[in-house]
Amino acid sequence: MWSELAPRVTDLAWPVVLALAWLVGESGHRWTGLPRISLYGTVGFALGHTQLGLLPPPGDGSMMLLANVAFGLILFEFGYRINLRWLRTNPWIGITGVLEAAATFAAVYAVAVSFGMPLLAALLLASLAMSTSPAAIMRVVNEQRSSGQVTERALHLTAVNCVLAVFVFKAVVGFWTFQTSGSVWQAVSNSLIVLAVSVGLGAAFGVGVPALLRGFGRLTQDATVAFAIAVVLLVAVAHTFKVSPVLAALTFGFVARHRRLTLNQAQRNFGALGDLLAVVLFVFVAATIEWPRVWTGFGLALALIAVRLASKGIVVGALARVSGVSWRKGVLTGLALTPISVFVILLLEQTRHLGIDLVDQLAPLAAATLLLELIGPIVTQRALMLAGESAEREEA
Amino acid sequence: MPLEAFKTSAPLTMGVELELQLVSLSDLDLIDASPDMLDLLSRRPFPGNVVPEITESMIEISTDVQTGHDGLLAQLRQIRDALVAAGDRLNVGVCGGGTHPFQQWSERKIFSKPRFKEVSQLYGYLAKQFTIFGQHIHVGCASADDAMFLLHSLNRYVPHFIALAAASPFVQRRDTLFNSARLNSVFAFPLSGRAPFTLSWHEFERDYFASMERTGIVKSMKDFYWDIRPKPEYGTIELRVCDTPLTVERAAGLAGYLQALCRCLLERSEAPPAESDYLVYNYNRFQACRFGLDGTLVHPKTYEAISLREDILSTLRRLEHHAGATGATQALAHIYQVTHEGSDASYLRRQYKERGSSEGMVEAAIARFRDQDSA
Repeated sequence: MWSELAPRVTDLAWPVVLALAWLVGESGHRWTGLPRISLYGTVGFALGHTQLGLLPPPGDGSMMLLANVAFGLILFEFGYRINLRWLRTNPWIGITGVLEAAATFAAVYAVAVSFGMPLLAALLLASLAMSTSPAAIMRVVNEQRSSGQVTERALHLTAVNCVLAVFVFKAVVGFWTFQTSGSVWQAVSNSLIVLAVSVGLGAAFGVGVPALLRGFGRLTQDATVAFAIAVVLLVAVAHTFKVSPVLAALTFGFVARHRRLTLNQAQRNFGALGDLLAVVLFVFVAATIEWPRVWTGFGLALALIAVRLASKGIVVGALARVSGVSWRKGVLTGLALTPISVFVILLLEQTRHLGIDLVDQLAPLAAATLLLELIGPIVTQRALMLAGESAEREEA
Repeated sequence: MPLEAFKTSAPLTMGVELELQLVSLSDLDLIDASPDMLDLLSRRPFPGNVVPEITESMIEISTDVQTGHDGLLAQLRQIRDALVAAGDRLNVGVCGGGTHPFQQWSERKIFSKPRFKEVSQLYGYLAKQFTIFGQHIHVGCASADDAMFLLHSLNRYVPHFIALAAASPFVQRRDTLFNSARLNSVFAFPLSGRAPFTLSWHEFERDYFASMERTGIVKSMKDFYWDIRPKPEYGTIELRVCDTPLTVERAAGLAGYLQALCRCLLERSEAPPAESDYLVYNYNRFQACRFGLDGTLVHPKTYEAISLREDILSTLRRLEHHAGATGATQALAHIYQVTHEGSDASYLRRQYKERGSSEGMVEAAIARFRDQDSA
């Protein structure tokens, strides 16, 4: 009897965990005001296979694809909200982004080396630590319905540091491949070609989809479904050809926004679809983190978090006045950039097929990710609230 | 607190206030940027004055007291350039227009200032729906009785200003079929409409304001949302029916037109205003809001039906020599051009059609506001 039921019970694991995560997210958010995504992550991590073990070990299967789709939707929306022209009208935004990422890279690298980490691993760790999680920022901004300079700058600086992180990361991976395999071709294809194909794919969608919509003459209508389907397709294609769905979706958003003659109306967050997939994404990502690894890397992780917080806060704060906001808002913007996580994990998962198990090499990152996955969104949320940019809470 | 004494000012001087939209250049929706804009603008002297408005996605600028159209326009241009430069640093677009075509009123934030919080408490959602953008024009009056005379004499011309300034055809992504939908939002307030009829300041102060104050409904003139109201502390009357136009050139043009018109009215050659003039007032006002320059007015004295556009054109002809005296010739030329080319509302509708979306319309409004040469 039990043996017959067992496989079916396994099938139940994900839906049950998702329902649980949603329940904890909603009630926790109501009672404590904490960001929902932190709570989803907590549930995902607690029930992960090396912890309470309700969830099976994450494979390369359909959940991974679903998480990628969820992330793709958020990244598309994120790219769609970035105004590249701002980087030109106020060059200090771009300069802040580059300096902030560079400072974080240098600081994290120095800390990693001083902890005795091998050179290449330290470089990879530093490149990943530059990035802020666009998913966490987007979700918190939308949850808080915040708007103002801290919000805008956090979004734009995140875009800058993510793009830098992907490029530096891929460059280091290329270098690593060259060192281990000795093959230039393999090194290039693992880095440059993957980057180029991902960007090209995203750009093609960014040009094609709005053109298609215009062809339908539906410009004034809601384009949410069209964009959502395009993102699903794009992510699946990227997944199949082993290029970066992350970069492709981000490029799609950028290009769709900047290449259009007119903006199409798309529902913020993809409405209920976005909310649903956010639960999947944040539970899944936290469930990939394994406690033994977290424990191994705990010390370095704390140091990493501290220097990252400091470098972002100090650089963005120091350039605040010259870039047009108060010192206070500058420091708050720097703090709002705290979340890491989703982005990093998905990047790492994708390098598994290269035969480099970076997840093992970078144990401190797992710990840092776990902490920042749970705490990062709270820091962002508080920063937005302190800046007075989140909407007043609805009176009950 | 009794109404303060009417402070006389140099007759026919003028000042303009513009409520402007703050738009995110990322998604072209309104953005709660006024605290950041004010912070940045406070770093260097501002040409004129800039203050917050009730919600954080609005900003209000005002000029100094000006005697002529040219000085007014020059200062408005300086103000505009300062705003545009600040906006560029903050990813914020500044533009005119009476309404934002797709903002959600429920997303708006009340600016943190006691009076705004009080208004919001009292009026509930009306306060957030008041995220609409108007131009107010002050005209200086030599005496308080002159002010009352002008205020009521202008009743017949109020539709001109509504139609000429109309720039709010869209609300919540839909074409309202109105040219100025903004004024419908003002009309929801209980103390909106027109001032009670009396030509004597003394009577107004003693019989109306003092009684209203005793009822506890009002504390100051600020509590009235009339189309035209006296402003005793400045010694002016304030015309409040105009949508904020898409360009400062039009804002200056409207002010110049009003100045010349007041000069003409003060000659007292027309039949004096009477309470019965107001029989047709709300109907004429509706015609101007709904149909703009294509509306039809009923003359308050003769009850004759007249085309609004024709009425403006014949008024312009009557004002020619006054314009020469006040230096408003260029302003009248601008107004003449509007009667031919259409108002900002028609411009916005054209942009909507060409660009195919509300976002495109906002982009066009931002471009038009910053463009030096468009008039």
